[in-house]
Amino acid sequence: MNLIFDILTTTAILYIVAAGLLLVFGVMKIINFAHGAFLTIGAYASLIASQLGLTPVAGFLFALLVGGLFGLMVERLVLRPLYERPLDAILATWGLAIVIGQVITLLFGREVQFVPSPIRGTIVLLGAEYSGYRLLLTLVALGLGLTLALLLTRTRIGLVTRAVILNEQLAQGLGIHSQLVRFFTFALGAAIASLAGALITPLSSVDPNMGVPWLINAFMLVMVSGVSMLSLLFATLIFGAAQVLISSYVSPILGGMAIAVLAAITLRIRPKGFSRD
Amino acid sequence: MFKPRIRALSLAVALTSLSFGVFAQDSKPIVIGVPVGLSGANSVVAPSVVQSAQLAVEEINAAGGILGRKVQLEVADDASGAVGAQKAFDSLIFQKKVDVLISMETSAARNAGLPAVAKGKTPYIYTSFYEGRSCSPYMYVNAWVPEQQVPPIVDYFMKEKSAKTIFLIGSDYAFGRGMLAFTKQYAESKGVKVVGEEYLPMDGSDWTAVISKLKAAKPDAIITSTAGGAPNVTLTKQLRAAGVNLPYGNLAVDEGTAKSMGTDAEGIYISASYVTGIDSPANKKFLAAMTKKFGADLKTPNDLSVPQYEAVYAYKAAVEQVKSTDSAKVLPALAAVKVDGPRGAIVMNKQHHSPLTMYLAQVQADGSVKVISTFNDVDPGQQCPALK
Amino acid sequence: MIDGDLIRKQLLRSALPVLLLVLCAPWFLDTYTTNILVRALFFAMLALTVDVLWGYTGYLTFGQSAFFGVGAYAAALVFTHLGFGPGYVILGVLLAMLAALLIGAVTGWLSFYHGSTPLYASVVSLVLPIVLTQVLFSGGTFTGSSSGLTGYGMPDLSVEDWFRLVGCLLVVLTTVVWLFVRSDGGRILFAIRDNEMRCSYLGINISVYKIALLIVTGIVAALAGFGYASFSGVVAPELAGFVFGTEVIIWVALGGRGTVIGPVLGAIVIDWSSAYLSGNLPYIWKLFLGIAFVLVIVLLPQGLLPAVFKGFRRFLPANTSSRALQLIQAEPKPVELEPQSLAVELKNVSKNFGSLKVLSDINFSASAGELVSLIGPNGAGKTTLMRCMSDGEERASGLVCIQGHEIKRIAPHQCVQLGLGRKFQTATVFDSLTVGECLRIARTRIDPPSFWRRSAQLSLPPYVLEVLTATELDQKLDVVTSSLSHGEKQALELAMVLALEPRVVLLDEPTAGLSMPERSLIGKIFIDLTSRFGLCLLLVEHDLDFVREISTRIVVLHQGRLVLEGTVAEVVDSELIKTIYSGSVGHA
Repeated sequence: MNLIFDILTTTAILYIVAAGLLLVFGVMKIINFAHGAFLTIGAYASLIASQLGLTPVAGFLFALLVGGLFGLMVERLVLRPLYERPLDAILATWGLAIVIGQVITLLFGREVQFVPSPIRGTIVLLGAEYSGYRLLLTLVALGLGLTLALLLTRTRIGLVTRAVILNEQLAQGLGIHSQLVRFFTFALGAAIASLAGALITPLSSVDPNMGVPWLINAFMLVMVSGVSMLSLLFATLIFGAAQVLISSYVSPILGGMAIAVLAAITLRIRPKGFSRD
Repeated sequence: MFKPRIRALSLAVALTSLSFGVFAQDSKPIVIGVPVGLSGANSVVAPSVVQSAQLAVEEINAAGGILGRKVQLEVADDASGAVGAQKAFDSLIFQKKVDVLISMETSAARNAGLPAVAKGKTPYIYTSFYEGRSCSPYMYVNAWVPEQQVPPIVDYFMKEKSAKTIFLIGSDYAFGRGMLAFTKQYAESKGVKVVGEEYLPMDGSDWTAVISKLKAAKPDAIITSTAGGAPNVTLTKQLRAAGVNLPYGNLAVDEGTAKSMGTDAEGIYISASYVTGIDSPANKKFLAAMTKKFGADLKTPNDLSVPQYEAVYAYKAAVEQVKSTDSAKVLPALAAVKVDGPRGAIVMNKQHHSPLTMYLAQVQADGSVKVISTFNDVDPGQQCPALK
Repeated sequence: MIDGDLIRKQLLRSALPVLLLVLCAPWFLDTYTTNILVRALFFAMLALTVDVLWGYTGYLTFGQSAFFGVGAYAAALVFTHLGFGPGYVILGVLLAMLAALLIGAVTGWLSFYHGSTPLYASVVSLVLPIVLTQVLFSGGTFTGSSSGLTGYGMPDLSVEDWFRLVGCLLVVLTTVVWLFVRSDGGRILFAIRDNEMRCSYLGINISVYKIALLIVTGIVAALAGFGYASFSGVVAPELAGFVFGTEVIIWVALGGRGTVIGPVLGAIVIDWSSAYLSGNLPYIWKLFLGIAFVLVIVLLPQGLLPAVFKGFRRFLPANTSSRALQLIQAEPKPVELEPQSLAVELKNVSKNFGSLKVLSDINFSASAGELVSLIGPNGAGKTTLMRCMSDGEERASGLVCIQGHEIKRIAPHQCVQLGLGRKFQTATVFDSLTVGECLRIARTRIDPPSFWRRSAQLSLPPYVLEVLTATELDQKLDVVTSSLSHGEKQALELAMVLALEPRVVLLDEPTAGLSMPERSLIGKIFIDLTSRFGLCLLLVEHDLDFVREISTRIVVLHQGRLVLEGTVAEVVDSELIKTIYSGSVGHA
């Protein structure tokens, strides 16, 4: 039972972290290598919030807001010139991640810091005693997934966004201001990443370089999922389970690279990954 | 009429310039290099180490310096790892040309720095507890090794907690493996069975799988040896979040880190050569001076930072004994000088290591540390038989 | 040989002074600086390999650090666990090279298969260092895990001697790389970066080429890592990691990608500065680098060095030298004309996109000397049919034979090797190369180029020379293709395809966008090719007047079916044609 909870909660955490990146990739066809940096921004936002004595929920909202604002700035200044050069966009966003990391170090210092967990201790569920906070994150992931799905399928903005995802030129031809869609989508992706950072810090720690391992895993999950949020769910579940199983039964070190290797192999066999088109 | 005045004046001028000349020669400062983990795993403890060194230097300079020369600190970041340490050591030894290196570092950093130390023939006082058996003619250690630290905890778990099985968790590098290897050997020699041994890389922070294995093995007690700092905190946080409340002996946590864990640290057993509660005049004087100098910014003095303070004084004593900063002269002197510091009287005379008084203690709910038993003058054992 | 003289002159001007500088520098520098520089020199070697892969071939790789790490650990492991001595050094070197070869081969196979995208190749290059660092972490006391390995036996050279040795090696390596990228064979890198599809259709097996390149650069990087470990005495998993891999890219990007010297200088200057500045202004320096990197990628993709050193061009190795390229006539390879063999044969070929049937049951054949025009309204499936004839993976079912050989499921470059040439609808040439270089690459299959020299002569079959003289391209051999007019690009592509000496040529709308005189010129050339040289030409065309003038046979495609076939007279005036085109005769 413990193992199943491990798998579910790991899946949930990966999903929250990767969702923002998927959104950006789907709409803009650009890989945002600054995703890890947005994660870090969110983590530090929650650090500030906890030092100011705000409630954890306020901290999460604060992180969301900060991430969104940064996303708006980055899209306007850095990404716009790079729409046609996807490989260069990867590099430019990586450079941006370095810049953000250094600024954070200047402002906060380079040591590792900690944020207390909103829920302490365990909950007894289905006969097993498991970390309450991790279980909470599973609920958050479900909520996030549902919200995004509803946003994309039930709202007008969502419809417009899906149009841009499927065929940007056609959408432009139909009068959709795709520039604006990209602008706001990137901000939303950055906000979600920032929220993810704030959510995961109670589990471990905050330091200027915490985003990098998450970036790699999120990136590989997005590559394998194409543009579909549902595929992302499958991907995080299957690969998250693989990571947990390999960590538990073989070695945590090999488990750490399970996602990256499995994703690369999957793409080799089926270049579309898990997506259906 | 002016003649006597002029003569006095010129004599004064001459004497002043002479003394300036002499002073100028001697006023080249003595530079102490401190490579330490300002970033990375050790970054939680590094500030306390730097503060200790700063206080020692300030006190020594206020008392006239060493051999009349001012003492200066040169701090460099070794990123808590091998590659960073190599850069830091190279920079301190060959670029800044320090007279001595005094610092606390991870074993990865220390091992990477030793070749540079040997090349530069610079004395190096290593102030961190570690897994033992690291030997160099240029290195002295004034902190504990497993032979001094592990037995109190294992013995206590056996006797007071009736532990028959233990589970070991560590960071995968020289220190983690070395400490746990000793622990396993000692425990098994006493009839306690080790039912699990798990490692994560030094920078790893996701202990989920390890904790699940721990729960499945159902041991009577846990003993951990992670890199000091971040891994300690993440492991403890995640252990508590998973509801693990077994007797928990942490071989690598210091008081300061324990304080930053908050209530999660309650109940942890530590075995250390320094606790802030030591009831001696030297310790009280030390704590008062630290509080005065740093005020609200003070980082709790701990088992990783206090040896740093004492090491600076050890170097001072050695240099004053041989009246020179020449390496070849200072090195033998370091084995003989005695420092009376917060941890008591310490001499680095056992194969470059030091006999120490060890305290078995438990972290309390308010973050303070309560001493359970004291062991005087514990021998470090055979650390470097080749260095007599 | 003119080229040999040029190389000698360039080397004397650039390489020799640098060599002298390398030998003398240790006398002027202090030990600490020399120490830092030796490490930087090893990194510069690594940067060179990244430049060849990314700057020249367009393959964004984060994984060269993995090869560096492999070499470094090979040295450290051998010296730690086995011992140190001349024999062990050789053993270590061989191990490093073998490991690099295996890893390069596997990575290459994974990244460069037929149909992979540049993004996927970059993804794999990212996974490689991650896997390697994790493997190193899991090695326990054997690999030292997080601590790495240190304190092993090392060569007994002074820092100054190391500097001289490594400096000279770097100069040699830079020279070799420079010779390679400016050589005729090296131009293929540019061609691959510009247009992979065109390369395939010139018979070049891109996958093999890239894999070979990756293996060679991997071995060089591993050897650099080996040297680094032997010098520095400390190896740790960071050396093989992803973050280090991105640092190398930053050096190459700032130094100037696709210039040999840029990355070398970039690596040396940045690494050396980091050693000094990161001690004193740690955060500021890295911040500055990050900002510079972002600015360069966004605004100055070519890098800083080319922009800054424009004035010193004399001392930089010339990548394009304006020398006259001489064209000489080559006799086309003799062809045994088997009496009954058809140039092209299609049996029951079908293709569908999902439930949409694009081609149904096409049966068709053509022989040498025929000029067959394929006509039909838009959407009839003409281009799809061409694709099915030139790429074995395209068709859903049916048989395609070229020159009597079934193509089964082979890739385009293999179809080309059977004697096929294909000219695309939009001019598919190499925009960053000159006309002469494009032609030279087109001759790769028949006349393999040298990998270190630049030939002053290019031999081409007579019909290619005719095309070039007729369109006056022979006066523009040194002009960069991107500045040619549309018609000239079309003519160049035609010349390149013909340079393959194909027996069957597929031409997709060859007259699109051409003026009247250009059109009649092309028409004459086509007739010549079939009647005089016995080629079989298949045209897809919309210009029915043109078709009427030159074709020996016309085939009509409509909604994926072959509906009419016959001589010009039979087809052009038929009722069916009129109905199909619904009155839009003459121009579609």
